[in-house]
Amino acid sequence: MLVSWSTIFEAFLETVQMVSISFIFSVILGLPLGILLYVTRPGQILENKIIFTILNGVINVFRSLPFIILLVAIIPVTKFIVGTSIGTEAAIVPMVFFAGPYISRLVESSLLEVDEGVLEAADAMGATPMQTIIKFVLPEAFGSLIVNFTISIIGLVGASAMAGTVGGGGIGDLAITYGYQRFDTVTMLITVVILIIMVQGLQSAGNKFARVVRRR
Amino acid sequence: MIEFIDVDKTYHGSDAPIHALDDINFKVDTGEIYGVVGYSGAGKSTLIRCVNQLESVSAGQVIVDGKDLTALAPTELRVTKKRIGMIFQHFNLLNSKTIYTNVAMPLILNKTPKNEIKKRVAELLEFVGLSDKASQYPDQLSGGQKQRVGIARALATNPSILLCDEATSALDPQTTESILELLRKINKEYNITILLITHEMSVIRDVCHKVAVMENGKIIERGSVFDVFSNPQTETGRRFVNTVMQTELPAYVRELIQEQDNSQFIYRINFISKLAVKPYLSQISKLYDLDVNVLFGNITELQGVPFGNLIVQFDGSHDELKKALLYLEENNVQYSEVNTYAG
Ligand SMILES: Nc1ncnc2c1ncn2[C@@H]1O[C@H](COP(=O)(O)OP(=O)(O)OP(=O)(O)O)[C@@H](O)[C@H]1O
Ligand SMILES: [Mg+2]
Repeated sequence: MLVSWSTIFEAFLETVQMVSISFIFSVILGLPLGILLYVTRPGQILENKIIFTILNGVINVFRSLPFIILLVAIIPVTKFIVGTSIGTEAAIVPMVFFAGPYISRLVESSLLEVDEGVLEAADAMGATPMQTIIKFVLPEAFGSLIVNFTISIIGLVGASAMAGTVGGGGIGDLAITYGYQRFDTVTMLITVVILIIMVQGLQSAGNKFARVVRRR
Repeated sequence: MIEFIDVDKTYHGSDAPIHALDDINFKVDTGEIYGVVGYSGAGKSTLIRCVNQLESVSAGQVIVDGKDLTALAPTELRVTKKRIGMIFQHFNLLNSKTIYTNVAMPLILNKTPKNEIKKRVAELLEFVGLSDKASQYPDQLSGGQKQRVGIARALATNPSILLCDEATSALDPQTTESILELLRKINKEYNITILLITHEMSVIRDVCHKVAVMENGKIIERGSVFDVFSNPQTETGRRFVNTVMQTELPAYVRELIQEQDNSQFIYRINFISKLAVKPYLSQISKLYDLDVNVLFGNITELQGVPFGNLIVQFDGSHDELKKALLYLEENNVQYSEVNTYAG
């Protein structure tokens, strides 16, 4: 093994940092967009064909780019936002561009699962569109949102490993520089194990949380 | 009060447009329980959903408590909707919220102070008999209990109107009975106007004062429950009435009608209320020179009042018959001669 345990631990922390920060920004971006997609969809409470079509199209464009391409393609944007295209901060930008649109889609599908009847009840009570979303739709979709957020955060763990290839740091970086370029099989195995444990942990935490929310 | 004036509703689907409401004109007076009955697809749901504008009309006016809802701006409309409660076939409760919060929701939307909400919700849960369920969730309740929650929620803002869209269709007969009882209580205690739609004539029989029969987007028949039950004017109306009380003449009666000679007369006699127990028929056979023969009959309860429907054969002279009919008239007993297949 060519690396020390403290280097591995450092890389782990970098991954945690990348994933959590980019997740927060992705939710900040994706949640409102997902809600907007939902309400402007034809037949929904704030139906708006123009907004829906544009948003839908833009999100599809981002969603059709594989992360590794996105990573390289938006380097100018990354440079503009964080001043550099290398390092942990620089990796966060493409990760948000990757996960934000993804989350907006998942949010949209979670909200679409909410029973028509609940919307009808809200309408009959004279709820404003804002109240309908905040008091009816989001609480009813909460369990499903948790499940989908879990999926996205796990997606981000995968993306963070790829971001390593452009010097993003973290576990992925370690695996590439030592495991791949220097044939350090032990380091490679350790990084793989760490990733598996992370994903497993996140998944079961997400499941547990969703179960609590749904009370079953 | 609810009034429909020349209301049309057309759905422009993917293929041919569907005329869900076709020239609807009718009025529900304050304090009435008005039932609308019809087969699937008749347009009942569309009709009731126009009352609180869950569905907008294509033409015409919907007047609720003096306001034309079709002319209101969205903000005004939302205010008006709070004066109209609605309950649903599938309850439409928030599964993520407790019973307390579900009932409180209309008040939360109104930004009512917390302590007032607490008082009102306690009152409402007491009224529907679910005080002990406040902290439970809808999936812990039975269908009947869920509908009670729906009712409590609908009453939260003291509406003047309650709309019930197939409110008992997902419930068993016994639970249905208890929900209907609750609707009667709401109507009596708060003088709330109730418009309900159903495909079950028994619901109409048990709670409604008036009834309208819908078919193909039109109201084809309407009137007091007594009138429609005793004398349905349309084929569909007759079929609905027949689901709860047999008015169709059995085959043997129809044969008798075919065979009746000059001294035999077959009449349908409807009687209501206490009249049912008075022995008019035996009086007739005593007072006049007529043989009275009950061929067929049944007695149903309409709004807690016995309603009887008898097919009777009088045997005797024409003069005696005339006297007997006069006697029935004097005693306000409805009768009509039966001489056709349809009766
Ligand atoms: N949103 C809609 N889009 C298109 N057509 C509709 C829509 N809602 C109802 N319809 C059509 O309008 C007609 C009346 O429907 P409606 O739901 O009012 O009937 P209903 O009497 O309530 O029937 P049911 O007893 O099955 O509930 C039907 O032909 C139905 O297919
Ligand atoms: Mg219906």
